[in-house]
Amino acid sequence: MNHTPLSDEELVQIIRENDQEEYSEIIRRYQRKLTHYLKKYIYDQDELEDVLQVVFIKAFKNLYGFNIKMKFSSWIYRIAHNEMANHIKKNLKSPVPLDEVEYKIVDEKIDIDQDIDRKILARDLGRYLGSLDIKYREPLILFYFENKSYEEISDILCMPTSTVGTLILRGKQNLANIISQDKKYDDK
Amino acid sequence: MTINKMQKLEDKIMSQIKGGKIKLRSKYIFIAEKLGLSSGFVLSVLLAILFFNLAFYCAKESDNLAYLNFGSAGFLAFLESFPYLLIAAMVILAAVAGFFIKKSEGTYKWSFGYLAIGLIVMVMLGGGILAYTGVSERIEEAAFKNRMPSMMFRPFLERGIDMRHKGIAGRIAEIGETYLLIETPRGVEKVNYSFKNDEKFEVDGFIIAIGRREGDVFVADRIKMLAEDEMPMIRRGIHRMIGPSRPFSPPLPPLEMNRHDFLFMK
Repeated sequence: MNHTPLSDEELVQIIRENDQEEYSEIIRRYQRKLTHYLKKYIYDQDELEDVLQVVFIKAFKNLYGFNIKMKFSSWIYRIAHNEMANHIKKNLKSPVPLDEVEYKIVDEKIDIDQDIDRKILARDLGRYLGSLDIKYREPLILFYFENKSYEEISDILCMPTSTVGTLILRGKQNLANIISQDKKYDDK
Repeated sequence: MTINKMQKLEDKIMSQIKGGKIKLRSKYIFIAEKLGLSSGFVLSVLLAILFFNLAFYCAKESDNLAYLNFGSAGFLAFLESFPYLLIAAMVILAAVAGFFIKKSEGTYKWSFGYLAIGLIVMVMLGGGILAYTGVSERIEEAAFKNRMPSMMFRPFLERGIDMRHKGIAGRIAEIGETYLLIETPRGVEKVNYSFKNDEKFEVDGFIIAIGRREGDVFVADRIKMLAEDEMPMIRRGIHRMIGPSRPFSPPLPPLEMNRHDFLFMK
């Protein structure tokens, strides 16, 4: 028999009305994804776990606040985003750690500048992203590394879709500026 | 995060849920929150509409717009008598409405510009429609009779009949060689003038003048006769303070007599 897995929204409905233990399925579905997302901002592993735990607890407590007609993934990412922002407020800027696959995505998706030495880019992109203003960094990370659409980013960051597009475009330009300035400095 | 650590986190959270340490917040809290936001938005928009309507009403019914009859010379008096307080209240309430709507679900998708334009259009349209209901006049009447809840609007409406330094408006009570005694919503005031006026003054006629104050006397640079219904708020103010038009009104008090004594004498 072919079982179609329940959607997140259906699962939320069940948790709210019948079985709270089903929340473990939500945790299983989102633990890896949210860890991946939060890793871009929180370098320390213990701190990341603490934030992640808070995210899941807050999401559970506020399940009745979730509108079933919306996408659950955007909603839980928004909670994660808010918690991460609170965490960042308390801490200084730190580089964004990227893994090998992500460097590849950057190489393919971001056509920052033809002249930029891609080796330097790959080596230092985490540092460059870290020095980018957070308002540009957030949509860039969600779009390129979390594979979120403009619509989803708009739901996560609570801003109009057109603003998301503008921020991504400007973020790319700023990133290109930072990288080319850095390259010039290195050449000297 | 390793698989082991992930399992640990899941177990940790689930044990707290099963143990009842972490509970779902009641759905009624969220319903109340939504209701609060919606009613806050509706209330602030309605009040913004009302204040816009009152501002428009004050400008139209008081001497404010009439000063523009003097052209650029009347501009300072126009600015002085402008209902700033009502406009400021309207702007604050519109901002509060904007805050409520921004806090509501899904509205973050609207751009700030469209939201602001939408709110302004809504307030102006609502205010325009309200102007036909005559509600402002009823509020004014009740406010000056100290009836609740309109009484709360009194500080805002008093601006329409307050003393100005650059202009004056009122009903002629006495005509002298170089002066006029006029009845204003504040009592009787003297207007001096030293120019030859083209218009013929008449007792009980309404005038508006621009100039400056010198002590208790207003020194007019220019004076215009106006129809009574061009400044209904001033007319009503005079009626409240002094009474309807003569010939049955009592003799005018001397200028130095204060408002209380004058009213008591009536």
